[in-house]
Amino acid sequence: MTQQISHLDLLEAESIHIFREAAAQFRKPVLLYSIGKDSTVLLHLARKAFWPARLPFPLLHIDTGWKFRDMIAFRDKTVRDFDLDLIVHTNEDGREKGINPLDYSPSVYTDVMKTVPLKQALDKYAFDAAFGGARRDEEASRAKERVFSFRAEGHRWDPRRQRPEMWRLLNGRLGAGESVRVFPLSNWTERDVWRYILREKLDVVPLYFAAERPTIVRNGQLIMQDDDRLTLKPGEEVVNRRVRFRTLGCYPLTAAVESDAADMESVVAETLGARTSERQGRLIDHDQVGAMEKKKQEGYF
Amino acid sequence: MSAQPTALQKSQSGVSKAPLKVVSGQTPAASPSGANLDEIAPELSGLLRVLTCGSVDDGKSTLIGRLLWDATDLYDDQRETLERGKRVDGGNPDFSLLMDGLVAEREQGITIDIAWRYFDTATRRIVVIDSPGHEQYTRNMASGASHADVAILLIDARHGIKTQTRRHAAILDLVGVKRVILVVNKMDLVDWSESTFRKIEADFETFSWRFGFWETTVIPTAAVSGDNVAAASAHMPWYSGPTLLEHLESLPSRVTEPTGPFRFPVQTVLRDSRNDFRGLAGTVSGGSVRVGETVVDALSQRKAKILRISTMDGDLDTASQGQAVAIQLDTDIDVARGAVLSKGDMPPLAARVLEARMVWLSETAYDPRGSYLLRTATDLTPVSNLKISALLDLETLETHEADACATNDIAIGTIALGRTAAIDTFTEAPETGSFVLVDAITGGSVAGGVITAAKAEAAEADENTFVLTRAMLERGLNSDLGDSPQADAEFRRRANEVALILRAAGINVEIENAPDYSI
Repeated sequence: MTQQISHLDLLEAESIHIFREAAAQFRKPVLLYSIGKDSTVLLHLARKAFWPARLPFPLLHIDTGWKFRDMIAFRDKTVRDFDLDLIVHTNEDGREKGINPLDYSPSVYTDVMKTVPLKQALDKYAFDAAFGGARRDEEASRAKERVFSFRAEGHRWDPRRQRPEMWRLLNGRLGAGESVRVFPLSNWTERDVWRYILREKLDVVPLYFAAERPTIVRNGQLIMQDDDRLTLKPGEEVVNRRVRFRTLGCYPLTAAVESDAADMESVVAETLGARTSERQGRLIDHDQVGAMEKKKQEGYF
Repeated sequence: MSAQPTALQKSQSGVSKAPLKVVSGQTPAASPSGANLDEIAPELSGLLRVLTCGSVDDGKSTLIGRLLWDATDLYDDQRETLERGKRVDGGNPDFSLLMDGLVAEREQGITIDIAWRYFDTATRRIVVIDSPGHEQYTRNMASGASHADVAILLIDARHGIKTQTRRHAAILDLVGVKRVILVVNKMDLVDWSESTFRKIEADFETFSWRFGFWETTVIPTAAVSGDNVAAASAHMPWYSGPTLLEHLESLPSRVTEPTGPFRFPVQTVLRDSRNDFRGLAGTVSGGSVRVGETVVDALSQRKAKILRISTMDGDLDTASQGQAVAIQLDTDIDVARGAVLSKGDMPPLAARVLEARMVWLSETAYDPRGSYLLRTATDLTPVSNLKISALLDLETLETHEADACATNDIAIGTIALGRTAAIDTFTEAPETGSFVLVDAITGGSVAGGVITAAKAEAAEADENTFVLTRAMLERGLNSDLGDSPQADAEFRRRANEVALILRAAGINVEIENAPDYSI
């Protein structure tokens, strides 16, 4: 009589439950879509949660202007294929001032081109809830996150004022000026995300698969030259290397790894055998001690 | 029962025995065509959520850090962080650094909030919920405990059972944890003494009998050196039981078979005009249901047959506890969010007055004139009267009459609702028998609790109670609303808000229960 339910089935059902609770409790939710593998899983779960109805909320992409070209192409195809509503928002003020990931520190760049425009867009459209793909296994301050993560006025996160969450009961009642980030993937790990992509046969951005790509070595990391804005410093040389990406962000700040994993099976095999945590390739996390915690307090998702 | 050693357990040298070792930047060991995915990416058979609790400085973070260090494939950068970090007791790394994540926590050396860690053994996902030991953060411990399948209750062997041990045991019992692992830690500091261990074991039995635990396992450990954590201890030959890891792997996984009566709290109604689809979206919170069976809405008593159980991956014949589905009924009975479907033989209670046990989570004390809302599975009901009747004394574990309660208190009380809600007692059906009490003004979660009894009628007829009728609301406030499920939800939301405002003004108020359960 015992049914063997896999852990992915349990995680999937929990995520669907969270999507439905949030959609039922909040006035105007939005899904933060950043095109990567977590967003792919997040979107797939959202479609399952409301199937066969259309998604009852739009997608929001904060475009820094420095995403890989492959990512933008994938984003637009996904929106067409699944009949989604997409909002793209960029911090025009930051773009006019020329804030870019090459000349500015990762923390300044992330604040101006990611955190600020996220807050701008949430305020502009008056979204009171934003779904994100953050997982508790990603990073130490994320390990403390709630599923409904409350943000005070100005989208600030205060770890000491988090709401307790008991059982499966999610309390979405907001006070004045408050908003919430909803994390349906809270209990997933990087390995689960890949297992699930494999199981559900989901398309992901081709950059996750190994191919010959033009790269330079900068600060010991492999950086892909996605367009001619990445100018070379003395001693740097563009070399075609067989690389892929474990995580996708802005191309000058996201390091590639040398790899031969060119199909889904080998990518999953490589990920499950990896010896370093995925965010090691994310330069913005290592800027300073407690970097993510600080960014979250300022409103980073 | 003898537990199998995990496939991920380390040999003495610390070298992984995992089937594949691929270093980023190197060629994968398996060629793309030869990759055996069943071996590389097996789906694990279920989850086990493990809470760690106990008092401050008994070594919870160290214990779990040690477990991760010994029994899992930590990433190289995490391993290096520990090896580079400061050394504690006899040159061991400070394993607690794997758990305490926040800057504020590192500065103070204490755990403020629960942290979630995930690791896989050969067969299952283990989720560790690390909870704060400090009394000031008991509410966070209670919050973490409510998610756990099993709890590790830590005791410092030098100090034995403390008030905090009793407090935590009482909270575990309150939130429904049925399996407890009593870990007597720091055995190295009591010369690995069996008599000390046996005394603590006996002391625990003298009070834990009164709780509803199904199983208590007692394990002596030294977390810093790893004795009986993932490897059996050479220092305590008198102990023949399992190591902590062996025991965790032998426990049954998170619910994999339906238990209790069928319950389906409706989350939302899904509609798709393109194919005339109208489905009730929700997660089965107890038991199971099959296509063709008759279900009943607990409040309206209306019945319908299950026509289809739909998911994006295709229709199902049955839906069991834990599954998130959309149910289509053969007749269009008008149920909306907040309704609870059952099979009718053991229906939920249509209740106006609840008896409850709760843990007070808010830093603001209970206010007899405060405005509260009751969040149950998918419903949010205005509370017309909340009365505290007793508090649990954590020294004696006896209850004493009381009419007030504050942060971290465990209280017994009566909750009168502004309208009828479909609920269960916690022992009957945990998911529909638990609640969170919400402050109507701030929105904060002020208490978490379980329902011990319920009755249908209002506590006592109060001549001063104002009845908010549907007709009254339709006349002006809700005159703009049409006749759709969305409009019904909005109607109910506005009615609740009016009731809360009147309540805040000191007027006892009830909301008329419309026959079609629209309010």
